Parts: sequence; structure tokens; C-alpha cells
Amino acid sequence: MDMDLDVPMHDAIEDQQLGPTLDEDRESANTGSGVEGTNTESVGQATGPLEIDEVEDLQDPDFKPGSSGIADQKSSKPLELTNSTIDQLDKWIEYLSKCQVLSEEEVARLCKMAVDVLQFEENVKPINVPVTICGDVHGQFHDLIELFKIGGPCPDTNYLFMGDYVDRGYYSVETVSLLVAMKVRYPRRITILRGNHESRQITQVYGFYDECLRKYGSASVWKMFTDLFDYFPITALVDNKIFCLHGGLSPMVETVDQVRELNRIQEVPHEGPMCDLLWSDPDDRGGWGISPRGAGFTFGQDISEQFNHTNDLSLIARAHQLVMEGYAWSHQQSVVTIFSAPNYCYRCGNQAAIMEVDENHNRQFLQYEPSIRPGEPTVSRKTPDYFL
Amino acid sequence: MSGRRYNTKGINVLEVNSAREAHARTVHARLPVNQQPQQQREFAREQIPVPSRRVFPRPATATPRHVCNNPNNPPCARCGTTIIPSPRATLPLEDCPSVTIDNWTISTRKRPILNSQEFEDWENNRLKGLALPEMIFGNNYVRIENTRDNWSLEFNALDALKHVKLEDSGIRVAYSQKWINSKQEKHKRQMPGGANFDIEESSLKIAHQYDWTYTTKYRGTEEGTLRLQRDDEASLPIDKLARPDNILFFDDMILFEDELADNGISMLNVKIRVMDERLLILSRFFLRVDDVLIRVIDTRVCIEFQENKVLREFKEYEGAYKDVILRHRSSHSHDPKAALRDSNWVVQNTPLVSRQCESLAF
Repeated sequence: MDMDLDVPMHDAIEDQQLGPTLDEDRESANTGSGVEGTNTESVGQATGPLEIDEVEDLQDPDFKPGSSGIADQKSSKPLELTNSTIDQLDKWIEYLSKCQVLSEEEVARLCKMAVDVLQFEENVKPINVPVTICGDVHGQFHDLIELFKIGGPCPDTNYLFMGDYVDRGYYSVETVSLLVAMKVRYPRRITILRGNHESRQITQVYGFYDECLRKYGSASVWKMFTDLFDYFPITALVDNKIFCLHGGLSPMVETVDQVRELNRIQEVPHEGPMCDLLWSDPDDRGGWGISPRGAGFTFGQDISEQFNHTNDLSLIARAHQLVMEGYAWSHQQSVVTIFSAPNYCYRCGNQAAIMEVDENHNRQFLQYEPSIRPGEPTVSRKTPDYFL
Repeated sequence: MSGRRYNTKGINVLEVNSAREAHARTVHARLPVNQQPQQQREFAREQIPVPSRRVFPRPATATPRHVCNNPNNPPCARCGTTIIPSPRATLPLEDCPSVTIDNWTISTRKRPILNSQEFEDWENNRLKGLALPEMIFGNNYVRIENTRDNWSLEFNALDALKHVKLEDSGIRVAYSQKWINSKQEKHKRQMPGGANFDIEESSLKIAHQYDWTYTTKYRGTEEGTLRLQRDDEASLPIDKLARPDNILFFDDMILFEDELADNGISMLNVKIRVMDERLLILSRFFLRVDDVLIRVIDTRVCIEFQENKVLREFKEYEGAYKDVILRHRSSHSHDPKAALRDSNWVVQNTPLVSRQCESLAF
């Protein structure tokens, strides 16, 4: 593996967030939490008149949350699959499994169906054992297929994914389309939680937005998926014992019941309990800590233990952070981090892992390495350049 | 590979085949562009040819004076072919190419990011007090050595991270103030569900201070009795470096990288190219804090083999995020994102803050 900086990787040296002014608008239009965004000096810094293409796009009222129209005709009861929709979904899944994208019109149909499945799921989705719990995938489609080989095919194996399906890898569209199609086809067999990357803002910076533009020629598919992300459940509870979520705990959430009361159908906010659940990290230091970045919590062992004790839990399972072996324990086994994108960003050389929980609550980690893709070199060689 | 599919007895045929394929592709990936077979895709799907069958044209140039030190590297046959390091076809991947020209030996190494054991060791012992960046390619290095005069210069992650300050950088993410304010507000309010938000006031302060942007003014690790001396009058021989001389050895690697919890990017990257008469290293620290600032710190090292002369130039660039973006309006490209992805564009559009130069002649 090589450091593919010259490959158009939408990670890192990728670019700016779009129109902060608009983000502010969007947020206040969308949160409805009553906390009015008081603008700050630092944000204010960037609120100059940015005359750049994407900002113009964003000024289009169609660019607002909900503008894709996928949730305009929500059903009042969960989607019931008919023979023809099952056929359709099976065809899509077969097609997507070959890493091919659906048409824009098909994505629209898929997202509409998905809204009618996901809107009825609870903020804390109850899940039975056995289940296989997975972490970040980040558009590494071929590694997702490898994951299903290692863990067993869906629906034979029950899956719980803890978010971050898009951004950074080259195949975010295929990855998220496949997972959503599986979710609609087997709603009781697979659960897809929301990660901090399932958001309008983050996907504009880290690749999913660009990928949609490249693969579909317009932002409409990005709008549909980001509108759909608002419906993803944010946490899951495996047999009342394992609390699963993307990031970590929040000082504003002491009990699992408090999560149930949140209004999750919104863009991931910049602060508040929902933000923390998708963003926070465990830390060796006790208590609550604030990151030196000036935003974001870390929580110590005392906090995890207290939370597990209060809620009668045995474990908190989360994703969100890269771990070399694919999984890592912290806080004396009260928290586990699971990361399911091997060779992250095609250059880290890390292993990936998934955690199987069986009927008797035994846990087993399955580790795996990057898949070998037919027709593509596993190692991309750098072309020498006359850099100065 | 602890997947249970692989736990069956005997060797899985598919596994052997994929290992072979991986090996062939890796070897194949080392070949210079003009010598790769045309039908790359078919090659991968069909049979795996034996790499040694490939014929390397003899160079038309005079006898080269460089020596390839690593047999795992492309058969340069002294040579005419470019030496492009690439990993060995095993996991974890590793490659340590090396080339010698006169009394100068150049070597690089690439390995995966630190595993958790190494990571802990760095965190608890070698870099105590620093919350480490997410991705540390701690076993990578670029090293140049003057074997005759016993002098060397190496670029590695550990030494680079030792230059990261263990104090508040003063930089905050764009929405920090809003975030902190909302915590203070909620501190006094009851939360839905009846629970009190009883977080200690002290928790609203940052407990652990370090420069979370990982800004490093690292210029490489120098060893030897002679040392580079400050020489701001000196300048890199840009005209000579701009010539399209044949590149004998090229590598490009990351030493560390952090995504700043999705608030931008902090990365230290080192590139090297070796030509017959000289070499150039560019070590670039690139920082983008979204909506806040852009910072680039470049260290360039140029060595003239014939004259046994080393030049090191150090440049810092920094600008407000919005200013750099606004400069994009005056350029001709239509995609501001692509511009910010291109560190060369960023450097050209970010104000130079300081420049220093050093030299050493043996």
C-alpha cells in the first residue's frame, strides 16, 4: 500500500466546508431544539461572502434539508414488502453487490421505502442476540463484501452497523446503497445506526458529496441520502445488555431512557446530547474532559462504569476511532471500540474487526484484512514527479 | 486472518491463489509506467505471468554510477529504469529500498501505522504528555547518509512529534465558542427526562493541554560531527532541480496524519527524488482547520553529490482560511475544493511567514 496522495482521494487534503453562513441557517431551521445558535467570533470569521460555485448551489432553496422529496409522502405505518418490491430489492442487492450504482430514480425509490422503515425505529433500537456488531466502513465497498464473507451473509447472520458508511473510501455510494437496500429488504435482520459522517456538513468536506457529483452529475443523490440519514436510529440496545452507538456518552444522558426522548430526525447538531452520542471518545482520564480543540467530550472509566451500572448494562460498544487491530478495549472492558475498515484510507495497514455476540452473550472478535480486488492492483504505485 | 473460513484443515486453494495474485500485482506495480503491460486488467484476471519474463531495455546512457542496494526492488540493471519503492507482497507490508551514489546512500522504509503496543509505548514513554495523532507511520523513514564523512539526515515521525508543543496552541475549531456556551447554559438547566445536568464546572475547562494541531517545525534529524550552518543567503538551485533529469529513486510517504476529529487535516509528508547529480527532499507539514486557518511548513533538502554540498531551506506559510479561499476567485480553476486539496496551490496562495536557509559542505 502506498500513500495515494496523487489519487483523487477525498480525505484529507480535500477541502473546505461549504458556506458556513448557510450551515448556520440550516441548523436553526432544522434543530427545533429551542437552542438558538448564537453566532461566535470564530464562526463569524468565515462568514464572508464566499462566491464559490458550491455556495451558489447551496443558496438554492432546493438544497435545504428535505428538499430531495424522499420524505414528502411518508406512510403512517411501516413498509410492508410485497412480492414485487421483494423482487425489486433482490435485484438491486444483486446489482449493488457487484459494486454497481443504482440509477438516480432507483435511489429515490429506495430512499422512499427506507424512510418508511427507518422512521418507525426507536432512538434506542432493541436488538436480539445473536448479532454481529460492526464499526466504521467508510466507503470501502470491497472490504464490506469481505466483512460479509467473514461474518456470514445477510440475512443468515444478523448485523448491527454503528455508522460511518460514507466518506474517505472510493465507494461511498455503492456502500450506503447496498446497506440501505439490505435494511429495507431485511428490516429485522440488519440495523444501521447513524455515525457522525451521516451528515450534510461532514459529507461535503470528506468525500461523499463529491463522489455523488462525480457518479451522478448532480447533487440530487447526495440530497436523498442525507435526507434519509436524518431517519437513522442513533443507538441500539442488544438484549438490554450492550449499548451500541457511534461515538460515546454524553454528560446530558445518564440513562438509556433519556436517549429515547431525543428528537433525532434532524441534521446532526454541533452540540447537545445527540451530537455527543455521535462524536465523543473514551479517555484514560477520569470524568468528563473537553478536547483541546475546544469542542467535543471525552469520558473516563468512572463515567462508563457509572453509566453501565445505572442502566444495568455489561458493555458499551462504539466505533468512531481507528484502532490498529480492528477492536480495542478500554475502561477495563466496560467499553469496546470496533473499527471495520481494514487498511483505512487505503494506506494505514490496520486490521478490521467485527464482534459476534451469540445466544449466550459470548463475544468473539473476527479480524480481517483488506480484500483483494480482481482487476485492480492492491498496491498503487506512485508515479515519480518532479516536485520542487 | 482469524476468520473462521480459514480455520478449516489444509490450505484453502482460493487463499493460495489470492496470495499469488497479490504478490504478482505488487511486483507488477513496481514497474515503471512505460514498461507495464498494456492490458493490465486482463492480466489481473487471467493467468499470473512470472515477473522475471519481463524484458528491461538497456539504457542508452553512459554507465550509471549508482548502485541499487535492495534486491527486492525493481531490477534496475544499472539501469535506465526508475526505482520506485513499493511494499513487499506480504502483510504487514514492508519495503526498504536503498540506492548508493558515490559516498551517498539513500534509503527509505514504509510500514503500516503503529500497532497498539507500539502506540502505547510512544504514548507512555517516548512522547509522554502528548495525545498522539491517529495515524502514525512510526516505522517509516527517509534517510540520507554520507558514508565517507559520517554525516546523516533522517526524517521520521518520532522526532517530528517531539517538536509538537505541550501547551495550548490557542487555536479552536470553528464552532468551539458556540459549543462551550451551550454547555454553560445547560449547566443551569434541567434536562428532559427529569435528570439534572450535574457536570462539574471544572469539567468545562480543557484538562489536558497540548498542541492538538500537531504543528511541528521539524527539519529532520541530523547526525555527525559536522553540522548544517545558518546561511540565509544561500538558495536552492531551482534551475537545476527543474530540469527533467532522469529520476533514479523516488519515494513519497506520510509520517503522521490526524483528521482533527473531522475538523480538517494535519499531516506530515516526505517526498524524495534522486537524480544522477543531486537529490531533493521535501518534508511538508500541512494543516487545515476548517473555517479557521491554513498552515504549511516546508523543509527542503538538496544535496549536490559531486560537490558534496547540502542545502536546507525552511519556509513557513500561514493564512486565515477565508483569505486563502477568497484567493481562489482570482485563479482560473472552477473547483475550489480541488484547489484546497492541492498543497502546491495552497502554498502559492498562503502568505510566507518566514524563511531560513542552512548549508554544509564536506
